[in-house]
Amino acid sequence: MAIRHLLSLARRSHKPSSSFTLVRSSSSRSNAEEFIKPPPPTATIYDRIAHSLKSKLQKLENPDIRFLKYGSPHPTQTPHTHILSRPETKITTLPNGLRVATESASNSRTATVGVWMDAGSRFESDETNGTAHFLERMIFKGTEKRRAKGPEEEIENMGGHLNAYTWREETAYYAKVMGKDVLKAVDILADVLQNSKFEERCISRERGVILRELQAGGHTEEDVFDHLHSTAFQYSPLGRNIHGTCDNIKTISNEHLHHYIQTHYTTPRMVLAASGAVKHEEIVEQAKKLFTKLSSDSTTATQLVAKEPASFTGSEVRIINDYVPLAKFAVAFEATSSTDPDSIALMVMREMLGSWNKNTGGGKHMGSKLVQRVSINGIAESMKAFSTNYKDTGLFGVYAVAKPDCLGDLSFAIMSEMTKLAYRVSEDDVIRARNQLKSSLMLHTDGTTPIAEDIGHQLLTYGRRIPFAELFTRIDAVDASTIKRVANRFLYDRDLAISAIGPIQDLPDYNWFRRRTYWNRY
Amino acid sequence: MSSLLQSLLDPKKSWLASLHMKSLTNRLRKYGLRYDDLYDPYYDLDIKEALNRLPREIVDARHQRLKRAIDLSMKHEYLPEDLQKMQTPFRSYLQDMLALVKKENAEREALGALPLYQRTIP
Repeated sequence: MAIRHLLSLARRSHKPSSSFTLVRSSSSRSNAEEFIKPPPPTATIYDRIAHSLKSKLQKLENPDIRFLKYGSPHPTQTPHTHILSRPETKITTLPNGLRVATESASNSRTATVGVWMDAGSRFESDETNGTAHFLERMIFKGTEKRRAKGPEEEIENMGGHLNAYTWREETAYYAKVMGKDVLKAVDILADVLQNSKFEERCISRERGVILRELQAGGHTEEDVFDHLHSTAFQYSPLGRNIHGTCDNIKTISNEHLHHYIQTHYTTPRMVLAASGAVKHEEIVEQAKKLFTKLSSDSTTATQLVAKEPASFTGSEVRIINDYVPLAKFAVAFEATSSTDPDSIALMVMREMLGSWNKNTGGGKHMGSKLVQRVSINGIAESMKAFSTNYKDTGLFGVYAVAKPDCLGDLSFAIMSEMTKLAYRVSEDDVIRARNQLKSSLMLHTDGTTPIAEDIGHQLLTYGRRIPFAELFTRIDAVDASTIKRVANRFLYDRDLAISAIGPIQDLPDYNWFRRRTYWNRY
Repeated sequence: MSSLLQSLLDPKKSWLASLHMKSLTNRLRKYGLRYDDLYDPYYDLDIKEALNRLPREIVDARHQRLKRAIDLSMKHEYLPEDLQKMQTPFRSYLQDMLALVKKENAEREALGALPLYQRTIP
């Protein structure tokens, strides 16, 4: 018993000691043996160190998320949608069908806000032809809240611009204002579209203006294209003149204008587009409050188009006028609708044919063979290839302005280059045209107004805004064989439409052009 | 499946496992050892690496415990009762570090790199 005591005393003195242990052992010595308990983890130094080490190793398993913010040993899937879906357009569809689409540019202090609609001269009838254009003229002439010149003055007071255009399938009213005045601009646009009063004095004054304009004009590029459409799409809605006929203009009245608004300015066919210093939620709120009186009739433009489809007739219209110095003419084939994938190939073909005028910086040695032939031989004052797309059809061709003596050479050059697109296409030309198309598409959207117009147009034609990545992929998918296939589809041995004005006696006849839409030599 | 295995091996859940743990506790307590002291660095080089990484005090305490146990076994004695009551056989100091070492080796092998030390015990 005593030996055991001595031995235990000796052993206790050899124990690694710390203050805790001394306290603990003294307490354990004083207490009875049943009260001896194992020491807590903080008793001995090695236990303390082991405990802290354990907590550090635990932290390795669960690292502090702040350290993982920019890099982590665990790979994560990063989404690339924010790059691939540029430009970021936020689209909200209101309950009444109106689509509000905005693209905010945070570095911009101005904004463009406007309403783009699927309404135009195409959706009129023969008796009401000209209403759309008349309406566009009249709509800024006064509303119930703001009397005559009110809307225009209000926008100008803010330092903004108010603008509108009517096209065959699209009408737009837009305003460019400072960023802080965007909501006021939306208010003015809503007021103008819904509450316009068409007073009799204003109507008769405008009528006179339009009639005088119709009589004065006749020899501009716009007229050539108007004639081209009216002959290519004769007996079909696309052929109607945007301005309308003189008889119709004389008889358009208040009821016609209101009826047009009721039928065609409907919310499912409208897009309120804004770009620049705009906030999507604010514009949506404003639109919900203000655009309440428009009809939400759900007939879409596509249904109206299906009821009266456009038909292309190979034809020509020539208006000889020897008193103007230059002859202007356009040659066009029937193309396809904007939703057809081949429309991209047609855009590339348009870039391949190119455009030129005597003021071009590129001079005579531009990429397109047609431009080289035209410019080096000096057979035209200017020329450009065009490709327009409507909902179910389109036009693809070349427009040229020339002196009267070189019309034969010019027509030969144009037709041989166009038909060559179906036979011989070099990859270099296609790549150059693709690059030009890509850069022109991107350079074009260089301000708030082009961007807003792009948003409105794309939402109306495609139903969505095509991201640039997708657009560029589609353009890059066009190679030489695609060009040949598309040219064979639209240009090879197909009827064409010609419209010409000016001193055009030497312009070859229709059969000459029609023969040169194919080659026998291949 | 692994959760079934864990519940079989968990002393809190399984009676057999707690019985095993109690018997181990008794035996380790008698010699004043911890369960982690039984891990042999000559048996597995991972244990050697883990021990190399542990702080000096912990490894010194381990050695001291082992020496005390060897001494007791040579003298055919057990630890005194009061000291036995203060033993904590299942207080671990090695398991976390060992798991880390094994994880690193597995990652090295998974990435296709050669192991750090290529040494076998003859």
